Amino acid sequence: MGRSILQASVTDRGLVLDPRTKILLLLNMAIFVLGSAGGGRVQALTPLFCAMPAVLLLSAKKWRTAITYIILFSVSYVGYAVFGDITTGFLHYFLLSCCGILARFLPSIMMGGYLVSTTTVSEFTAAMLKMKLSEKIIIPLSVMFRFFPTVFDEAASINAAMKMRGIHLGGKNAGKILEYRIVPLMTCCVKIGEELSAAALTRGLGGEVRRTNICNIGFKVQDFIFITVSIVPYVLWILDIVGI
Amino acid sequence: MIEIKNVSFRHENADEGSIHDITLTIPDGQCVLLCGESGSGKTTITRLINGLIPHYYEGEMHGEVIANGLNVTKSELYETAKKVGSVFQNPRSQFFCVDTTSELAFGCENMGLPEADILSRIDKVTAEMNIKSLMGQNIFELSGGEKQKIACGSVSALQPEIMVLDEPTSNLDLNAIEELKETVQKWKQSGKTIIIAEHRLYWLREICDRVICTQNGRIEFDMTMEEFKSLSDEERNAYGLRPLFAENAVQTVGNFSGTDILTLNNFSFSYDKKEVLNIPKLEIPVGSIVAVTGHNGAGKSTFSRCLCGLEKRFKGTVLLNGETLKSRQLLKKCYMVMQDVNHQLFCETVEEEVQLGMNEENAGKVQKILEELDLDGFAQRHPMSLSGGQKQRTAIASAMLADKEILLFDEPTSGLDFKHMEQTAKLLSSLKNKKTVFVATHDPELISRCCTHILRIENGVIDEFTSR
Repeated sequence: MGRSILQASVTDRGLVLDPRTKILLLLNMAIFVLGSAGGGRVQALTPLFCAMPAVLLLSAKKWRTAITYIILFSVSYVGYAVFGDITTGFLHYFLLSCCGILARFLPSIMMGGYLVSTTTVSEFTAAMLKMKLSEKIIIPLSVMFRFFPTVFDEAASINAAMKMRGIHLGGKNAGKILEYRIVPLMTCCVKIGEELSAAALTRGLGGEVRRTNICNIGFKVQDFIFITVSIVPYVLWILDIVGI
Repeated sequence: MIEIKNVSFRHENADEGSIHDITLTIPDGQCVLLCGESGSGKTTITRLINGLIPHYYEGEMHGEVIANGLNVTKSELYETAKKVGSVFQNPRSQFFCVDTTSELAFGCENMGLPEADILSRIDKVTAEMNIKSLMGQNIFELSGGEKQKIACGSVSALQPEIMVLDEPTSNLDLNAIEELKETVQKWKQSGKTIIIAEHRLYWLREICDRVICTQNGRIEFDMTMEEFKSLSDEERNAYGLRPLFAENAVQTVGNFSGTDILTLNNFSFSYDKKEVLNIPKLEIPVGSIVAVTGHNGAGKSTFSRCLCGLEKRFKGTVLLNGETLKSRQLLKKCYMVMQDVNHQLFCETVEEEVQLGMNEENAGKVQKILEELDLDGFAQRHPMSLSGGQKQRTAIASAMLADKEILLFDEPTSGLDFKHMEQTAKLLSSLKNKKTVFVATHDPELISRCCTHILRIENGVIDEFTSR
């Protein structure tokens, strides 16, 4: 069985960032690239932000994901600029919206993927503990975090089953592909989720004492570099608001 | 000491109670085997002891359970967790972390122990259980036996006095069972009280002191292991139990009359440049039932995936009825009944389900196939509402109607009791001489009941291929 893309590998992670830095980067990506907040000067910086997930993915040796991202993003970014001038009518809007959506969503999705695939559950929990979040938030979030790889594994098995039944795009049951996928996926995930919670509870999750954590996380040089870069757009934004 | 006092329990949405008025006392240091048919109340009893009932699985409960002085029924789960450790059957769903070290630390972290304490406990557990070499690894890359060791280790690290194991061998091969046996023996020597609910009995012969059999939610018998050993296999079967001595398994094969040959050519496959399967040529009689055995990770599942045409990069072929089938055609001719059959049931009724992907010419046969597989009464039911065996048969029915020639079963009897294992064996036997069947399994009793050939794969190559 191959390992799912979203499963954090324990060794071989290249540039190690603190989970908090990764969360900050993801947040920035959502605010400035997806949400295009911050005004003109910040928006001029977005290509720089969009390059970040590529660098990080490459450092984590996720070659294929990184290269696919770079190609898809460049094509849609360039496409957005070029197609606007050379096409008209329906095609114009179609291409523009496709490229626009891709260029806007892809960087955030990739950053999210990077966060999940390079952070183990316990590192993530440790990071949230250090941010002094309440356990009421930490536990559900870490369960979710643990759950992603499982959902993908289940989806892969269901996909295999569908192939053997001759259900595929272009086949005669193509219209029902979504329904066929969702129903078994829900059933399996609910079952696994239930067992997972039971196993965690019998080992004392959710007690009244504050959890400890043996994970060594902390800010290093690379974290400070990324954090400094991440602060730039906020500064520019504030300057913009004050009118300088 | 564990005291279960007049306990009855009914699950929230169930019509009938799962156990009725059970009273049981288990002294310190005793090792108890809980056996009985599926649904007879074994698992319910284990959940009473670890507190999952009534705190997690809700329902109507009477009576109370006291474990080493702690009232489990009233205490919160994290209090119980300090006294009672639990190991479950499914390796996929009992790990909370992705890497082994954090997993061992997980329970201790929940207790809020200081970091230094946790590290010294981990050291102690890894030394005791001989799992130092597994530390710092990705759990999802370990074999089934190693996963179960980590599960045991993470419970051990909490240092509970009572251990509860719910069908811990369901997903394990024979070697892994031996390893689990060693772990349980160590726990026993250190004086822990152990309760094991299990269908596979033979590995517990020398471990358990006492055997409790449940039936319909009541205790059917409660005897010492010595007395239990003196029962005959027939008596044990009558209680729905599997043989206590694996070597006594019933041998029924006979009347296999295939002469046609199915040839597998060039069955080799690599993941990330590492060769995991290498079978240049293999001839298999059409209509036989081939048990595919071998250790976890030996290449069985890759073999199955290649044969079903699920691996795109797979270049091998199958020669069947003079036709050479490549990956794409194999996808049409082969069908795998997965271990978790829930993955392959898509429709709203059984009738729709079996007709999905059906060869149109077979429209007239639907009723007949449903009858043959004992499903005619369930045609309008939702497949997800069926029992495990009925789901399995639904999957088979759909394969028959889609004119699949080769059927693969992945661990069809894992976690099944005697009666259901026997049913599956009969079902497989009924396919003999009609379809070519491959069964990937660790279950020696299933093999001895229905398989005509054994194919053993080790390290990706054929270790042995024999007819029985």
